[in-house]
Amino acid sequence: MTLIRLTRQSAAEVDLKKTYDAIVVGSGAAGGMAAHVLTAHGMKVLMLEAGKKLDIDKELKSTEWPYEHKRRGEMPPGFHALSLNEYNIRQPPYAANSKAQHVYSYVQGWGGPDYSKNIVVDEKDHPYTGTNYAWVRARLLGGKTNIWGRLALRLSDLDFKAKSHDDYGEDWPISYKDIAPYYDKVDLYLGISGVKENVAHLPDSIFQRPIKLTYAENKLRQSIKKMNRLLTPYRAGVTTDGLKHNKYRSKCFGRGACNRRTGGCDIHAAFDSPTGLIMPAMDTGNLTLRTNAIAREVTIDKKTGKASGVAFIDAETGRTYEAKAKVVVIAASTLESARLMLLSKSDAHPNGIGNSSSHVGHNFCEHIMGPHITGLVKDLVGKPRTLDDGKPGSFYLARFRNLNERNPKFIRGYGFEGGSGTSIYPGNAGSTPGFGSSYKKSVRDYAGAFMSMGAFGEVLARYENYVDIDPSVKDKWGVPVLRFHYKFGDNEKKMADDMADTAQEMFTEAGFEIVDLSRRILTEGWSIHELGTARMGTDPKTSVLNQFEQSHDVKNLFVVDGSAFASASCQNPTWTIMALAWRSCDYLADQFKKGSL
Amino acid sequence: MAEDQNETNPVGRDEESELSRRELLKLGASAAFAVALTGLETNALAESAQGRAPLFFTREEFALVDELTELIIPADDHSPGARATRAADYIDFRLSESLEENPKTLWRNGLKRIEELSQEMHGQPFLKSSREQRIALLTRISQNETKPVKSEELFFNELKSRTARAYYSSKIGIHTEMEYKGNTYLKEFVGYDAT
Repeated sequence: MTLIRLTRQSAAEVDLKKTYDAIVVGSGAAGGMAAHVLTAHGMKVLMLEAGKKLDIDKELKSTEWPYEHKRRGEMPPGFHALSLNEYNIRQPPYAANSKAQHVYSYVQGWGGPDYSKNIVVDEKDHPYTGTNYAWVRARLLGGKTNIWGRLALRLSDLDFKAKSHDDYGEDWPISYKDIAPYYDKVDLYLGISGVKENVAHLPDSIFQRPIKLTYAENKLRQSIKKMNRLLTPYRAGVTTDGLKHNKYRSKCFGRGACNRRTGGCDIHAAFDSPTGLIMPAMDTGNLTLRTNAIAREVTIDKKTGKASGVAFIDAETGRTYEAKAKVVVIAASTLESARLMLLSKSDAHPNGIGNSSSHVGHNFCEHIMGPHITGLVKDLVGKPRTLDDGKPGSFYLARFRNLNERNPKFIRGYGFEGGSGTSIYPGNAGSTPGFGSSYKKSVRDYAGAFMSMGAFGEVLARYENYVDIDPSVKDKWGVPVLRFHYKFGDNEKKMADDMADTAQEMFTEAGFEIVDLSRRILTEGWSIHELGTARMGTDPKTSVLNQFEQSHDVKNLFVVDGSAFASASCQNPTWTIMALAWRSCDYLADQFKKGSL
Repeated sequence: MAEDQNETNPVGRDEESELSRRELLKLGASAAFAVALTGLETNALAESAQGRAPLFFTREEFALVDELTELIIPADDHSPGARATRAADYIDFRLSESLEENPKTLWRNGLKRIEELSQEMHGQPFLKSSREQRIALLTRISQNETKPVKSEELFFNELKSRTARAYYSSKIGIHTEMEYKGNTYLKEFVGYDAT
């Protein structure tokens, strides 16, 4: 009863008779930023979020000890997280025929999954088809920013002008100088921790208090300097000094909860879209929020061919509504945005809205993962316990391939993320052989002496890697689902081999004893960095959006999330998504005021 | 049935707190206090059940599991062992609620196999054999830890993995044995400046 009443109330929050200045579809990093920028310009904005509004602080319980939880953080019976093996030996939809009541993507197999099971989607309700792909989705206010890994990196002209560098793919229609002021704005508005390094291909941000390195990380940093390679403290999208202009967020206190759990920060030191962007935007009085609103279609004004609003399904009642706006901003995440555009078919746009180029869903790219290394730092064995995990991340090892030299085997590059030292659960408890007193002592003596890292590499944008709409399969709400046609190529495989080789080379240089070296490539999608399905470009025949993420075809339609990327780079995308969205929405608001949309 | 009994009629300390909670509620005591007591019960379920009927194992099996966990992670001069963390209770609880048949069968058959091997090697039940004999048996089934083939070898890995999971996520495991220093509020990050 309560539920129905609440739903009616929230349905009433949207004025279906009103024409909003803009509708923003999605409330993650991109949607949140669009709402922030447009409301700051005085525009009246309606935000549609497909998921629920969750009281996140009650979910995460960041400082709860494992033994205070009935199942030590694990999920109850009937709740199942997909394993790597399941992703590879089976075909999507992965939850079909599962005996479990609830099936989640692999991230729910990490530490403390019980705390985040309400954040990621239940695969049973959200099927997809086609080639193997580990698609991680979070349908709730704030989307994946509620649990993101927080590594906040800038791209450089080596990325934006990659084609000019190696003659593959397309250059972006912008340069670093176009986006740099917006990176600065994102840094200052949301807060970022890091150390200035003055490296051209990994531009510095305006950093707050940096994270420190462990003994082992510092040793590796110093060792690889000789190789002209850079290990720098994690550039975390976390405010470590606090933000005077945001009352919803605290500064980081190094509780380390972000690494003990799937993610999430209940003091909101780590950026999340609800506290970082949406709640401040609500305070302007210009933002209306409608959760449980699954965007089904961008509607069209038949006379003009322009977008007229968004038809959405109430996730609780299944009823369809239509909200009207002068501008539509899609920010539903790379793959969901493509899905929405492809579903929005009309006489004016028979291929889907904004898709006269037939490039929507194509040029789908991301980061390849898999190769990783673990080393033993012998100087640390048996040493007194240190506090190594009281921070929101450990380190980033920047790209070093294909900068000035040309690798004979592959183009583009990769970076590493990693960690070391003690954590709440000794990872070596599983790998230490034997039993009894000697086993116990060995686990104790060696627990803090390991260091690991794994690579993230650029997957080339290729037209033949794409998603389209499955002609027969629908989700719980009757919306046709995505079908994947996506595989890693030869360049990625050769790059992956090199990742393992260089990891070995660097650990050896630092004097670590290598205890594990894996060359295995993880299932497509593992990085949760899907990009490129509505790419920007100067040519409307081969791109979907212009440099302001505005549809070439429909001038009052913008797509401001990762789908706009013209290439994947190897740096994590969130900070760039937000800087681009800020730039595009500044442009949008300016054009709106001039009446030219 | 056994499971129902344990949920509605826990013995000993659990029963006391259950009664107290009811009394308190009857008396109109604050909800917050009642919630605190509920928390105690949750802890009791996770950390202590020795003495009452186990949820999944028979009493005999439970005694065997309890001893096996202590052999995997014994008390030493640094900290208590798996028995003190009630590792067997946690294993028992998780198996009892599992919807999968595989782990249940693995444990039932594994424990039977331990007894068979004890008879074969030492001519007596495992818990009647000497400490040296028990260790000899575990040594034998742990030989192929990296590539287990025989049923008892697979069982050893399952036993060890569940024991380690229970032990190192317990209060004793985290604080006493591993002396974990994190999960606290820090004014400054700890470690080396990047220079």
